[in-house]
Amino acid sequence: MTEYLIRRTLQSVLILLLITVVTFILIHAAPGGPKQIYLSPNLSQAAAKVQEHNLGLDRPLPVQYVNWIGDLLRGDLGYTFKNHIPVGEIIWPTVGHTLVLMGAAWLLTLLIALPWGIYNSTSEYGLSDQTASFIAYIGFAMPTFWFGIILQELFALKWNLLPLSDMWTMGKEGQIGDLLLHLMLPVTVLTIGFLASYVKYARSSMLEVLDQDYIRTARAKGLGEGRVVFRHALRNALIPIITVLGLDLPVLVAGAALTENVFNWPGMGRLFVQMAVAREYSVLMAITLLTAVFVIVGNFVADLLYALVDPRVKLSRKGGAAA
Amino acid sequence: MSPSTAPVRAAGERARADRRPPGLWQAGWRQFSRNRFAVAGLAIMAVFVIASLTARWIAPYDPTRIDMMFPNLPPGTGDHLLGTDELGRDIFSRLLYSSQVSLLVGFSVAIASVAIGTLIGAVSGYFGGWLDTCFMRLVDVMNAIPLLFLNILILAIFGSEFSYMILVMTFTGWMGVARLVRGTFLQLREMQYVEAARAIGVSDAGIIFRHLLRNASAPIIVNATLMVGYAILGESALSYLGLGVQVPQTSWGLMLSNAQEFMLVDPLQAVYPGLCILLVVLAVNFVGDGLRDAMDPRKQAAIARRGWGRWRRNSSKFGN
Repeated sequence: MTEYLIRRTLQSVLILLLITVVTFILIHAAPGGPKQIYLSPNLSQAAAKVQEHNLGLDRPLPVQYVNWIGDLLRGDLGYTFKNHIPVGEIIWPTVGHTLVLMGAAWLLTLLIALPWGIYNSTSEYGLSDQTASFIAYIGFAMPTFWFGIILQELFALKWNLLPLSDMWTMGKEGQIGDLLLHLMLPVTVLTIGFLASYVKYARSSMLEVLDQDYIRTARAKGLGEGRVVFRHALRNALIPIITVLGLDLPVLVAGAALTENVFNWPGMGRLFVQMAVAREYSVLMAITLLTAVFVIVGNFVADLLYALVDPRVKLSRKGGAAA
Repeated sequence: MSPSTAPVRAAGERARADRRPPGLWQAGWRQFSRNRFAVAGLAIMAVFVIASLTARWIAPYDPTRIDMMFPNLPPGTGDHLLGTDELGRDIFSRLLYSSQVSLLVGFSVAIASVAIGTLIGAVSGYFGGWLDTCFMRLVDVMNAIPLLFLNILILAIFGSEFSYMILVMTFTGWMGVARLVRGTFLQLREMQYVEAARAIGVSDAGIIFRHLLRNASAPIIVNATLMVGYAILGESALSYLGLGVQVPQTSWGLMLSNAQEFMLVDPLQAVYPGLCILLVVLAVNFVGDGLRDAMDPRKQAAIARRGWGRWRRNSSKFGN
């Protein structure tokens, strides 16, 4: 186990390091390079030289890279180009907002999807099962942002039931009730998007387990169906779902980004798009790295949990490719 | 028995006389055409493809023609089948021209990324070793950044041009196929026919392209079909965010972001482009699922199950 832990940690760190290299190269591959990005075109040639030197852009690339990594490790994410605000100051509040939105959607999805999937596995091809596959097909083909717009038109504009967008009503910042009202529509959009696949995972994972010999044994020795499903099958069926949860993190983050833009939710995804339009590269790089860390930690934890709960997992497996 | 079936039977007997079992494609088509959803998907796809190819002739108006005298007309006013948008542009014509963009992006991204993914997957699956390690680490790296973020980042750096968008989406879309092909190749390269081919001196390239790739073609084609849907969704998302297709070109995503601004005035404008995306992607996915069932020889036994049961079974394999 310790060996696995060490190997997996090293692997995560390596990938993270590679991601920093890729982002660094991307910025330096931009037309005109970082000089174009960090230096104002209005500067005189002499001033530009000074500025270039101050920012360290005249040093060789490897040195610049090492300096950048050093800054990152010290928690210094750089400054915005326009107003020279520390990037961290802009990013950290939005991270919290995104986590609120994502967390709510994720929790709701699990609360609905797990029982639904389990139920569907016990009544294959029933009405509820078919409804789930119908939602799956629609959910996979529907642009989430379109669904968001339609919900806005119906619930906010036509029936005037829920707030149209944003996180708080003006003057009501910090009130939980107001936040919950604002969460309703975006969480619905995200949940519909995730729901289908989780119901499907829960169902197929349960079906696989229900097919096993030890379930037949349990039934044969006269256990009630409820006990068989919940005590014997469910525990093992949950194992693959854990992995899926970890692997789905990037999808969750990206899905939240679109939804945030539709509902003007002040999260990381909306900030990312705004900064992309404004070409604030330091913020873009910081958010990219942050989401990458998030995803890698998520996968790491999922793998670890998997190895913990399932003794059959070969701990010496080569490479990071999960199954 | 009507006389018209006679030539068909004759052809069938001739085929039997040749003692040739139906090939992959023939058997596949037979099975594909039995799947109602797949055929419906194919029909919808055909309608959209034809509409986009003939947009120049069937669109009643120039999609970019601004007519400030008649903004936000409701559907069915005058010759405006679906009304006009906030600048008086004909919505139906814009939908038609948008389908060109979406389908072009969808197909070119799917083909290009599947080609790259197949090549990388094939090379790393067949040769293994450090090459495999390098490619798979690259896949890990790319997978650790949400695709949408990566697309936005690159488009922000290099600028939002149409050709860039296709390149960028290709660059960020090949990983799934690469993993799939690598996995298949890892299994297939241990087969005896590979050993036999090597024994008679077939080169590595020959083994990869002539022997292994053919046997791995079914999942690759299915994946390519599904990629079309993903690419169309991705394009619409990028355009909606203002980083994809730029004015004066139009795309469904761009139309949606316009419609959102004017949804107080005319809520219906937001419905059409979204419905188009939904229909096309749904159709592509149906076709992909139909192909998956049709081209998998192990699934032959399952033909008997029809209709909803079949749909359900398809969807349970979706997205693996």
